Order: sequence, then C-alpha cells, then structure tokens
Amino acid sequence: MIPAKYNIRNLQVRWMTTLMTVLGTGLVVWASVLCFGLTDGLQYALRVSGDELDLIVLRKGSTDETGSGIEQSVARQIVSLPGIAKDEGGQPLCSVEFVTILTKPRRNNGGTVNLIVRGLEEVGRKLRPEYRLTQGREIKPGVNEAITSQRMAERFENLAIGEELEINNVKFKIVGYFEAAGSSAESEVWTDLRDLTAARRTPAAVSSVNLRAENLAARDSLVKLLADDKRFELNGISEVRYFEDQMTQSNAIQYIGYIIAGFLMFGAMFAAANTMYAAVASRAREIGTLRALGFSRRSILGSFLFESVLLCLMGGALGCLATLPFNGLSTGTVNQFSEITFSFRFGPRVLLQGVVLAMLMGLLGGILPALRAVQLNIVNALRER
Amino acid sequence: MKILVYIWRNIRRNKVRSLLTILSVGFSLALMTVLYGFMASQETWRNDAEQTNRIVVMNIQGFTGQVPISAVDDVASTDGVEAAVPLAWFGGAYQDEPMPFAQFATDPQSAFKVWPEYSISPEELKNWQENRRGCVIDRRIADERGWKVGQQIRLKGTIYPFDLDLELCGIFDAPKNSGSLWFNWEYLDEGLKQKNSPVTGNAGTVFARTKSGDGIPAVVKAIDDRFGSSDTPTRTQTEAAFAQMFVDMLGNVQVLIRNIGLAVVFSLCLVTANSMAMSMRERVTEIAVLKAIGFPRSRILFMILGESSLIAMLGGLLGVSMGCAFLQAMNAALPQFFPFTVLEMLGPWISYGFLVAAVLGIVSGLVPAIRAAQLSVIDGLRRIA
Repeated sequence: MIPAKYNIRNLQVRWMTTLMTVLGTGLVVWASVLCFGLTDGLQYALRVSGDELDLIVLRKGSTDETGSGIEQSVARQIVSLPGIAKDEGGQPLCSVEFVTILTKPRRNNGGTVNLIVRGLEEVGRKLRPEYRLTQGREIKPGVNEAITSQRMAERFENLAIGEELEINNVKFKIVGYFEAAGSSAESEVWTDLRDLTAARRTPAAVSSVNLRAENLAARDSLVKLLADDKRFELNGISEVRYFEDQMTQSNAIQYIGYIIAGFLMFGAMFAAANTMYAAVASRAREIGTLRALGFSRRSILGSFLFESVLLCLMGGALGCLATLPFNGLSTGTVNQFSEITFSFRFGPRVLLQGVVLAMLMGLLGGILPALRAVQLNIVNALRER
Repeated sequence: MKILVYIWRNIRRNKVRSLLTILSVGFSLALMTVLYGFMASQETWRNDAEQTNRIVVMNIQGFTGQVPISAVDDVASTDGVEAAVPLAWFGGAYQDEPMPFAQFATDPQSAFKVWPEYSISPEELKNWQENRRGCVIDRRIADERGWKVGQQIRLKGTIYPFDLDLELCGIFDAPKNSGSLWFNWEYLDEGLKQKNSPVTGNAGTVFARTKSGDGIPAVVKAIDDRFGSSDTPTRTQTEAAFAQMFVDMLGNVQVLIRNIGLAVVFSLCLVTANSMAMSMRERVTEIAVLKAIGFPRSRILFMILGESSLIAMLGGLLGVSMGCAFLQAMNAALPQFFPFTVLEMLGPWISYGFLVAAVLGIVSGLVPAIRAAQLSVIDGLRRIA
C-alpha cells in the first residue's frame, strides 16, 4: 500500500489547484445540504406535531381541518365517549376546536398569505407537545385576546404582543407568545373557541375535535365508533397520519432539492475529474517510479482514488461547516394553502447526506483518472520529463 | 480567422480536459436554467393575468370567507363590467388521485364571456348550458386522459360533504394550459342544500371582466364600497394581483433559489479558472516561443481569453439546451408544477445562462491571460530545461 502521506503531500504541493477544487465541491455540497436541511426542517415540524395516541376528528370525507365542519352539539358529545385519556385532574383530554384561514399581510411588504387562526379551550394546550408560554400571558376567554409564536410575530403584520389582529371587524389583542416543540402549532394564532366562532358568526359549528386515546386499542375502537355511530358519522384520523398527508408540500421541496443536488453533483464530479486528470498527467514519472519500486497496479489505483475522495471530502466538510450558521434559522413556506413556519435542521442524517454526496463525487470523478494512471507503461512513464 | 483556428486547436489539444470543463459548466448552467425557468413559469402566469382585464372579488377574510351568490349579479351590473361569474373551488378527488386537476363551479351562461380567450364549439357550449350535471374541461387534460364528450366523471368531495357525478359536455381550448374543469355552480349548491349545509348560496369568489383596462380602479372601488358595510365585506383585485398572492406564498423559497444560483456561478468560476490555469501552466514555453517570434501581447491575451470564452460558451450552450429539455420533459411529466412549455414562457431568463457563460469565460481566463501576456520571454524559454 502506498502511504496516505504521499497523497496528502501531493495535495499540499498543488495547493492552488487543491484549494480551487475544494472550494468548488464545497459550494456544491453547501447548496445541496441547504436544500436537504430545508426539507428536513419542514418534515420535522410536521412529524413532531403528531402523537400516536392522538386523533383528529373531522367531518366524513374531509381530509383537513380547514375544510371540515361539525355541529358543536355533536362535537361536545364526543367528550363522554369511553377510551379517552384523562389528565391529572380527571378531565378528559378532548378538545373542541375551530380553525379558520385569514388572508393577512406579511411584514416588510412580503405579500399577503393565508394565516391559520385556531379557537380552542384550555384542554387543547395539553394535547400539544411541550406547550409553554414564553412571553406575555395566557388569554382570558370572552375578551377577544389571542396568542401566537414568536416566529409568526416576526413574519406577520399585527401579530406582535400589543398589536391587534382583525377578524371580521372584531379586533383580537395579542397578549403572549407560546412554543410547542417546533410543531405546526407554532405556525398558528390561538384564541378562545367562543370568541372566534362568534367573530366568524358560526356559533353552532366547529372544525374538529382533537383527543388523546388511553391506548392504541382504545384509539382504534374510537375511530370505529365515530365512523359507524349514527349520532356521529365522523372521520377520526390518527394525528401521525394526518400530518403525513400534509407533507405533500415538503415532498415537492424535497424533489426540488434532489434535482438541484443531482445537477450540481454532475457538475462538481467533472470538475474533480479534471483536477485528478491533471494530477495524473503531471505525475507520470512518479507513477512509473512507484511501479518500478514494486507497488502493484491495485495499490496505485487505490491511492489515486483515495486522493480524489480526500479532495472532495475536504470540500464536503467545508460545505457542511458552512451550513451551520443556518441551523435553526427560521423560514416559512405554504403548506395546504396556509403559511407554515419552520427552521432549517442540519441533523446527522442531513450532514451524512452531504458527506456521501462528496464521497460519490470523489469516487466517480476519480475513477477514470485513476484507471489512466494504472494503465501507464512503466518504461514510457519513466522516460517522461 | 487564423487565430480562431489556433484557439480551436488549443481546445482540442487536451480533449478530455476541455470536455470535462464543458460538461461541468453545462450541468451547472442547466440547473440554473431550470431554476430560473421554474420562477419564470410563475411570472408568466402573472403577466398573462395582467392583460386580461379581469378582476377577482373575494371575501376580505380570504378563501374561507363567503361571497353570497347575489353578489355576482351586483358585480355584473356595476358600471364598466362586461360579465361576471361565480368561481368556487371544489378540490375533489378523482378515483385514487387526490386532486388531479382544478375543479371550479361556475356559471355556464357567462363563463366564456369572462374568459373570451378560451374557445369552445357553440354546440358543446349549448349542451353544457342545458345539462345540469354537465362539465367542460381543458383539451390538454381531455387528451391526456383520453376523455371524449359523454365521459362520466365522478369527483369525490374533500372540502364538500358530497360527491359530484359529472358528464363531460364539451372540451375547450385555452391559449395556455388552464388545467381546469368547470361545472355548473347550481349543481354544487343543490348538493349543499340537500345536506342542509349552513353555507349554501356561496359563490366562493367572483371573477369579472371589465370593458377596458383603464376602468379597473374605478370598478374595484365601486365593488368594494358596495359590499364594505355588508355582512361580507369584499376585497377586489386584478387577476394579476390575485396571481401574485399565490406566487408570494412560495416565500423564502425564491430567495433560496437565487442564492443557490449565485453559489453555482461562483463555484463555476473556480472550476473553469482552475482548468484554464492548468492549461496555461503546461504551455508556458509555447507562449514564450510565440512571443519570441513576434506575437504582440494583445494577441496572446485575446487568444487565451478567446479559448476560455469559447469553452464557457460551449458549456453555456449545452447547459441552456439541457435545462430547456429538462423543463420541457417536466412539463410533460408533472404539469401541475410546470404548467407551461418552454416556448410559452420564453423570456429574458433563457439568456441568463449565456450571460453567465460569457462572464465566466472572461473572468476565468483573465488571470492566466494576463500572466501569459506579461510572461518574460527568457524565463518562459528557460523552463524547457
């Protein structure tokens, strides 16, 4: 085996070419990892929102809360069904909720987009992952107050604490910010159920019922009961599945990410190949010497492939490092017609994708130059200047 | 002329390197073309909307708000309005496909007056107007699915609590893919009434065409004033502004695309500059000879810049054609995301690839070219030894 030191020194000697190639592949990996991180962030926001035991109950045939409508009197009967989990105080974890979409302006003239406003009662907060208030105070029912997340306050007009959001000519005062483990709830504005249905002039109707079952078996029998019982005829969807269905948008972004990464990988692969061809061409004599010393063809092939992979991996590492300032940076896109905010996430999986990408570039780009190095005739190679 | 031959021979001297550089530039510029083409498709949509003199009336609260059906007649009778129709989104599923194309409930009597650029044969239009369950569809969808007049189409309601049984009465031609199916609004309302829904008589949105482009601001104001103090205040905007709303929804994704474009261009500069520098290093002696036999500096500068520019332009040509071919293929494969063919959205974006290639050629050739021009003849000749 040719020692790795040989390759490292070679890269050092040609530092200018090495630097250019490393920067080139680094940028490519950076752009690709950024795309992967975006997708991962969006998927995380939707995934963390779902709990195995939670059910979202909608009108039959409806697949999404904003398009669903249930009579409030029917929705209230669900609370008393068997199999619903209770909190410490013995209250059933079952929340009647009303969801509406408003078209509201973004800050800094960012255009108008759809905003989800959810009316719910105290119990609804216990159904969200790690719900807690970070700033301001809880809303008081009956006096038209609302809370939202810090991120939403930064993105939308009229959503900062102290500002007022208008819903059908009724003003809702923002009194606090909450957090819920980065779930989709953080993309919503929350207010009191009755205040919201009153403002929307639909006091008899709600959108959905969110509930937590005692266990999986209870969950399944609740779904069956809700679907078959003549009183209800409702569609109970497991929260996990509900959010999976909502991932269509993130799939589209994922495809865009793969297209970008694919094109760029080819571009960078050819660049790496170019560098390696030059390395092989200018080292013909060295290669001849190595062969004459008795190194096998295989170890020379391995050595050049290693050099190529090393070159690209350095670029890959640089590219991955360069994405770190974006970690946790919040951004937003549209999911199911309404704005969802989420953060870039560069977890181990995303970074690994970047590293694998860099390795692929090195392997594929290095294979032809390495083969050429192996095919050199010893005598001719030694004769070269 | 001779110098061009010389440049071409130089490019062909190291075929592998030139080819790799061209491919590398090509793939990266193909990506840029695809990204900008994707953004252009959205621009196209908006620009088209600008020329149509159409306005859209929606509830001030956004899509989920109602616009009463009586508003259609009110809008139609406003001064300066040619015709107005309701346009309600059905968004149903067809067989296993969640929402294969857009479905709107509208008024068969006036729909083609609001969209005069869509054409349909008079018999088919008459059939549609007389058949309550009738629908018409864009020719592209009909061709793709092999649907003929008389086809039964069952749409499963997802937002609405019932299904539609439609019969295809006619096929219309639109200048660009509208991706839409239209059916009778009354058939939709009938379904709501049967379900005792509280939201009957909802037009969804009202689309109207004004008599002239100049009259639009007055018409918009007249309509919004009229409904301002009613139960359902409206927001009226031009179709272009309406389309812009959807473009805005993509939000940060556009910024991301621009940044990726920049990163790509930058990494390209590195790649091409690198390969030009490699070429020059091998040719130092040769350039010294050229100078020794009396080639002026300017010509050597021009030769090297010409070589890098030609390589970059060949890459640009490859990139733009690959990008366009990809967009065309996507248009055929995924018309929801890429609604236009390349010809339909032809615009300045297509030249960006060439522009980048031209700049790339000059920037990447500049350093090696100046170095070569300033090369001392004696030093250069000495390097032979």
